[in-house]
Amino acid sequence: MLVRYIAKRLGLGILQLIGLVIGVFFIIRLLPADPVARLVGMNASPQAYAQAAHQLGLDRPLLTQLAIYLGFEPSVQPGLLQGSLGASWVTDSLVMSEIAQYLPVTITLVTLSFLLVLIVAVPIGMLGALNPGGRTDKGVFIYSLFAGSQPEFWWGLLFVYIFFFRLGIAPAPLGSLSPMTDPPAPITGFLLIDSLLEGQWSVFVEALDHLMLPVVTLAFVLSGPIIKMVRQNMLRALRSDFVLYADCVGLPRDIIARYALRAAMAPSMTLIGILYGFMLGGAVLVENVFSLGGIGQYAVRAVLAFDYPVIQGVVLVITAISLLVYLALDLFHAAIDPRIIV
Amino acid sequence: MKLERAAIDAISIGARPLLAVEELTVGYPVDGGGMIRPVDGLSLAVRRGEIVGLVGDAGSGKSTAALAMLGLARRPGRILSGRVHFAGRDLLEMSADELRNIRGREIGIIVQNPRSALNPMLRIGRQIGLAYRAHNRATDEETRQRALEMLRMVGINDPERRVEAYAHELSGGMAQRALIAIALSSRPKLLIADEPTSGLDVTIQAQFLDEMWQTVQATGSAVLLVTQELGIVANYCDRVLVLHDGRVVEDALVEQFFEAPQHAYSQAVLRLHRERRLTFGATFPPRNGTPMVEVRGLIKTFPVRNSAKVVQAVDRVTLTIRPGETLGLVGESGSGKTTVGRCLLRLLQPDGGAISFEGADILAFGDADMRRQRAKLQIVLQDPFDSLNPRWTIRKILTEPLNLHTRQSRADKARRAAELMQLVGLDPALLERRPRGLGAGALQRVNIARALACNPSFIVLDEPTSVLSPQARAGLIELLGRLQKELGISYLFISHDLTSVQYVCHRVAVMYLGQIVEEGSVEEIFRRPRHPYSQALLSAHLFPDPSHRRVDNPVAPALQGEIPSPIDLPVGCYLASRCPYANAACRAAPQRLEPCADGRVVRCHRVVAGEIPVPERIEE
Amino acid sequence: MATVDVDTETASAARPRRRVDALFVLGLAIVVVVAILAVIGPWIGAYDPTLTTPDVSAPPPSLTELPGLMSTWLAGGPAPHFLGTDTSGFDIFSRLMAAPRTDLVIALSANGLSLVFGLLLGLLAGYFRNFVTELLMRVSDVLQSFPVFISAMVLVALAGRSTANIVIALAFVYTPIYIRLTRAEVLNQKNRGFIEAARALGNRELTIALRHVLPNSLAPALIQSSVTIGFAILLTAGLSFVGAGVRPPTPEWGLMIASGANEIILGEWWSSVFPGIAISITVFGFAVLGDALERRNEA
Repeated sequence: MLVRYIAKRLGLGILQLIGLVIGVFFIIRLLPADPVARLVGMNASPQAYAQAAHQLGLDRPLLTQLAIYLGFEPSVQPGLLQGSLGASWVTDSLVMSEIAQYLPVTITLVTLSFLLVLIVAVPIGMLGALNPGGRTDKGVFIYSLFAGSQPEFWWGLLFVYIFFFRLGIAPAPLGSLSPMTDPPAPITGFLLIDSLLEGQWSVFVEALDHLMLPVVTLAFVLSGPIIKMVRQNMLRALRSDFVLYADCVGLPRDIIARYALRAAMAPSMTLIGILYGFMLGGAVLVENVFSLGGIGQYAVRAVLAFDYPVIQGVVLVITAISLLVYLALDLFHAAIDPRIIV
Repeated sequence: MKLERAAIDAISIGARPLLAVEELTVGYPVDGGGMIRPVDGLSLAVRRGEIVGLVGDAGSGKSTAALAMLGLARRPGRILSGRVHFAGRDLLEMSADELRNIRGREIGIIVQNPRSALNPMLRIGRQIGLAYRAHNRATDEETRQRALEMLRMVGINDPERRVEAYAHELSGGMAQRALIAIALSSRPKLLIADEPTSGLDVTIQAQFLDEMWQTVQATGSAVLLVTQELGIVANYCDRVLVLHDGRVVEDALVEQFFEAPQHAYSQAVLRLHRERRLTFGATFPPRNGTPMVEVRGLIKTFPVRNSAKVVQAVDRVTLTIRPGETLGLVGESGSGKTTVGRCLLRLLQPDGGAISFEGADILAFGDADMRRQRAKLQIVLQDPFDSLNPRWTIRKILTEPLNLHTRQSRADKARRAAELMQLVGLDPALLERRPRGLGAGALQRVNIARALACNPSFIVLDEPTSVLSPQARAGLIELLGRLQKELGISYLFISHDLTSVQYVCHRVAVMYLGQIVEEGSVEEIFRRPRHPYSQALLSAHLFPDPSHRRVDNPVAPALQGEIPSPIDLPVGCYLASRCPYANAACRAAPQRLEPCADGRVVRCHRVVAGEIPVPERIEE
Repeated sequence: MATVDVDTETASAARPRRRVDALFVLGLAIVVVVAILAVIGPWIGAYDPTLTTPDVSAPPPSLTELPGLMSTWLAGGPAPHFLGTDTSGFDIFSRLMAAPRTDLVIALSANGLSLVFGLLLGLLAGYFRNFVTELLMRVSDVLQSFPVFISAMVLVALAGRSTANIVIALAFVYTPIYIRLTRAEVLNQKNRGFIEAARALGNRELTIALRHVLPNSLAPALIQSSVTIGFAILLTAGLSFVGAGVRPPTPEWGLMIASGANEIILGEWWSSVFPGIAISITVFGFAVLGDALERRNEA
């Protein structure tokens, strides 16, 4: 039963990804931008232009280009079916390896931010729900609305100004590590994990130090919707009939609270998944401010340079990860709520 | 004044009542300051071992009062004042912890919507266990044994299996039994039962109430039974309290209440019962002539998800309705009666059979013709709150059919709208209102007015009285009778409320699992039901007659076991698995509808052969 | 003719009056102020928001300096730069006042466009369940799974950085949300009694969809609009910040923050801080308003 559900979701996910790839492929090619001109410059000769166009494969018919990209013409160039995302038109490196370099930074940033938010936000949301209408609750509620409306890039800049420039407790926003430090050998690609695996404790601490402000910035913005949702779901659970009945039966308060929390967490899973997926692509602004070198920044460079293979690759990878995250959360949801049949 | 004294008398006499409520008031704040008080100065008393009924309309504050007696109020309500004496102590003066001890251990409660009262994430065995452990020290094994014991006590035969179930896996009746198991697990002295059987089928209801009765006899608990249904009160209660305007307006022993109600409100509640007690059938006989509606061999199936199988909702149903006649269609959930009603109007497309209306085959009509025909063929749905567009005024609602089927001028339509309102007994000033804020009875009348707009000849009434209070029901039945007499409309009256059927219908057909099992005049069927299912249905029906109480004259349950699944129906008679008279011949071949000597038709060869005893249902 | 029976009495007392909702008032006030600025903003500032001035990187005047500067202005001299100037010499105050027009026009247009499409397509997808509408939902799902920021960036950058393209890109992103919201509500509504009653009266299906179902399914989408407009402003600012949004010298809050981003590390905070405060309050106002509307609807 479970295996069948997972298989079905994965199957649907793959179909969705294929639709996505084809959709993105056509959309970007149907838009008026000219990547060839971007590459060779405005004053290139017609021959140089034609040569560049041929090199990029843009002189072929659209459907042929798609077929090549998907991997149906492996002799010309490896494609998706062969597990290749192509090569960047700007750097000539394989998109896959570039993504492997940049993605871990974003995942680290987003995951740490989520962990921080969940540790802090869930108790705060619960606190609000336990005394609805009271002063704490009003404060919690207004905070959640406020935090959720904030431009995270601006708060990042503000934090840099306050904590770096004014107070000097945070490092300069110049990257994941200070420019002086040698990064550890890339075993997993994750800076934090690699430094630990190689026993480079000081590098580990420095990496955390550099992540501090970006994580706090993202966590601040995420705390808005998450606190709002936890509070709302908790309120709903506390007002539900079964909690009232548990009171009628005379169950002890702590037991009632425990089950109310469980009932509140279940529907929260979906939103957390959506926010995670959103942040994977949306962390670009924070990455930009702190020069972290994550996949968002990579995507921005590619978009501004009309680097089609990179754009396609990034969209594909981020969506694929989002779908996996949704699946994992849905499974977790089904595990705690017996009404969901999987 | 009289009741306060009764409560005080009970206290002073020394036979101290178990529960004595004095001047209980619960308020709900409304925006703009101020409070509404659904419970306003309520006083009542319940003695040990008594079963007391608390009667009142929907929205009269019954449930609020029940919760308040436990010291609880649904947010944002608050208990404003009053005293609730239980075994000598005032609950409202106690600390929260003391109250928590009393709840569950001394006073148990079961509520109206059992599935939502159960924790959706825990198995019911665990919930019973939690309730038990909250008030008793016990090991895990002892708790488990107790849970099984409670389930057995409430009539569940295979508790080892049921104990593992989740709330959403249980039927309504099962869930309610689980609630009783929880409520009585610590043998409380008082059980408050708040509308415990609303939504349950007739036979399940009777079964459940019988079991509840037995259980409280065994545990010696007193019961405060909160309900709208006079039948329940008559058959199970010793004493009756009437709740109106937030307080108790009458307190009488049950026989006295039904014989000679004192308060004007009680009299209004009992009106229908008192006026029409001994009558059967609609007052005005139908006209003769060509049948208005003829249904032959109607079939409707529904596909089952992820399966090639189908649900046989309606299985070759044949009926005839004459002009000015009311045919009742009764049965429990799954009988197909609602589906028949919808098929007659082609709101569902039948899968087989023929339907003719005033001689014309309506299944052959194209879309446009069918739409035009709808002026003549109308339906009134069950839920009055849901069947009217909440954003439209009543006027707009009533003129919609006029816009669809006539070319009347604005002035004519306005006149017709006012006319319709008066026809159904409503003040035409209500035309400018929206449905919100009107009571169920008024809304149901609006529904009828809308159906009447284009002068229909036939109206299907789908459970029109189910959500109405007893006096709204009485008013509606009266209205239907009057309209039939004045306008000559035929009705198909679909209902599970046998009392309404008794007063409204000329003839009645009993349905079971998609088939008609018996059909005849209302008097014949209600007085002398022949088919075993009709017998079971009628014996389970709680007639509001305290002189012949069900608990004093217990009848062995006529049907055993569970209803077979409508997906896998047996070859022979569908009732055979539950019928006490079933023999090999019954199971072997499908049963056909055969005429009996007295003019009715029955689907049972044993009945036709005279092999089934027919109880003469005792006159009320 | 007939008297009104006991059972036809209207239920319960008069409708309770609504208590004044402080948050609703706050949200409404902020939104109204921003809307007014959108109309008259460009004329409030003393300087043309799209032209630079010779004063570069001038910090905002302190309170002690202000009276002196004001009298200079009233005497015919140049106006003071109330909030300072940025590295290009733009007067921050004038641009701050002019920016709401840009952001609000984009946000309102994008929201309006996605609302109209979302409502209609959501209605069709929810009411008429057939192959075409299921396909529509699959396409909408795929669209919704695009990473929001990156897709908006791609669309704008590749189609050309004009206001119209930003509006279209945002509409692309938000339409699937409205389709989903409306369809869910339509699915709830279409099983209600009065829909079946409308059918029984002889209405055509399309008439039922438009006259009965749609008006009763508008609420979630309309309430969501306030929040969506706020997010559209954030998205526009974010796009402009990374250089994939509005073109300079159009006054826009994100652009303004970007122009001061490099300087803030060096201590020149005014170019980025003031526009940030403006966005912060504006989007907060929309969020508060949206939430207050949602609470009113539930009551």
